[in-house]
Amino acid sequence: MKKIILLFCFFSCVTWSQESSQFFDKQGKITFFSYTSVENIQASNNQVVSIFKPSTSDIVVRILMRAFVFEKALMQEHFNESYIETDIFPEATFVGKIIGFDINNDIQTKRFEGQFTLHGVTKNIRFNAKILKIGATYEISGTLEIPVRDYEIKIPMLLDPNIAEIISVNFNFQYDLYEK
Amino acid sequence: MISMKNKTSSVKGIIYFVLLSFSCIINAQEDLLDAINSIETDTEFNTLATFKATRISIGQSVITREKGVLEVTWQNRFWNTPDSVSTAFVADKVNVRFELAYGVTDRLTIGAGYGTGYTSVDAFAKYRLLYQKDTGKKFPISVTLFQSIAHREKNPGDFITRDLDFEEKLGFTTQLLIARKFSPNFSLQFSPTYFHREADKFLPEPDTNRFALGFGARYKISHHVSIVSEYYALLDSVNDPQSYGPFALGVNWEIASIQLQFNITNARNLVEDKFIGKTLQNFNFRNGNLHFGFQATYLFHFNKK
Repeated sequence: MKKIILLFCFFSCVTWSQESSQFFDKQGKITFFSYTSVENIQASNNQVVSIFKPSTSDIVVRILMRAFVFEKALMQEHFNESYIETDIFPEATFVGKIIGFDINNDIQTKRFEGQFTLHGVTKNIRFNAKILKIGATYEISGTLEIPVRDYEIKIPMLLDPNIAEIISVNFNFQYDLYEK
Repeated sequence: MISMKNKTSSVKGIIYFVLLSFSCIINAQEDLLDAINSIETDTEFNTLATFKATRISIGQSVITREKGVLEVTWQNRFWNTPDSVSTAFVADKVNVRFELAYGVTDRLTIGAGYGTGYTSVDAFAKYRLLYQKDTGKKFPISVTLFQSIAHREKNPGDFITRDLDFEEKLGFTTQLLIARKFSPNFSLQFSPTYFHREADKFLPEPDTNRFALGFGARYKISHHVSIVSEYYALLDSVNDPQSYGPFALGVNWEIASIQLQFNITNARNLVEDKFIGKTLQNFNFRNGNLHFGFQATYLFHFNKK
């Protein structure tokens, strides 16, 4: 009996790992916008790394903060030096799950839930995104909103009118099969 | 007895099963995190903002402006004369210099300035040779070359009795600026300096080729405010006992596109060859020796990415 159960366990684990093919994107795109009446700020990052595992609907994202490119060189310096403090917090990460992901559906919009870590602060976030299955690849894209205050990013009073309270973030990932 | 044994083993089995499948789930999450952290991104970044401004306080920093950035700078130095009675408003004397500098490339900045002290016109070029890198292929220091040429309309001193020719009014400064950002808050710079002042050939003991070693440091006390200090040691002051090494203690404040630099110093001139080589008063708090410096820089971005 014990052996049978152990054998079952073993096989279930083996089949699990066989099914658990992972998809990854090394050049995911994230663009964020801060719109205020004073100033519009936009920055994009084309080097975002993400892994998506359809079998468990797990998704992880790793964002190198230094790779954000701004219109103005000075803004980029301020972003890294004074706001995000990339010397201390070089990366932002998202670890989450897609709720109700259907592996057999080619086009679906689902809720993503997980933990987002930015500037050393971890918050639970949820947002909707579109998942496309194109042949043997996946594409996930969507928009979410990040309140600056939640992540202990300090903005000097003088610059308060220049930076939006809520930053909108667009993302687009094109996943290929990840071969280890 | 036998059924009892079977029961225990099946309970054990279930526990094994639960533990095993649980470990599988945990592995899946950990695997994913491990996997994503093991993916190498081929990105290499230069260390940012060793100093925030192109000047530490009174002297040049390793920083060059990014391509397409125009820097407009207004420099002031205020001081009082030692006279006991003064009718001047705020301060007895002031030196002003206005400067424009442009980032031709990320590495090359060129600029020019006009100053009221001795009515000087100067031009300079700064070239960033090496960038400090803390990620990827690491490199410990930043190195920048600085070259300036200045022309002064007014005679530099009483020891000259005749009108000077054009060439005789020139002064040159060459600097090798070497800096390291040790931590997000602390940066240090060494600035070996050579300067050549034509007019120095009229000195009782002529010495037109001279050397100095500059030291500069900044410490960030908040995201936008830092404390800075600078000193230039004259390496061959024997021939010129009247000159003292310029010292400055200052506060730099930057907000959006504006950088404000305040300092107290013994240097009243604003162009390198003059304030490094010809600071005729030592640093103390007496009138005539203490100078209050104020400098404002505004940055315009012409090259939007």
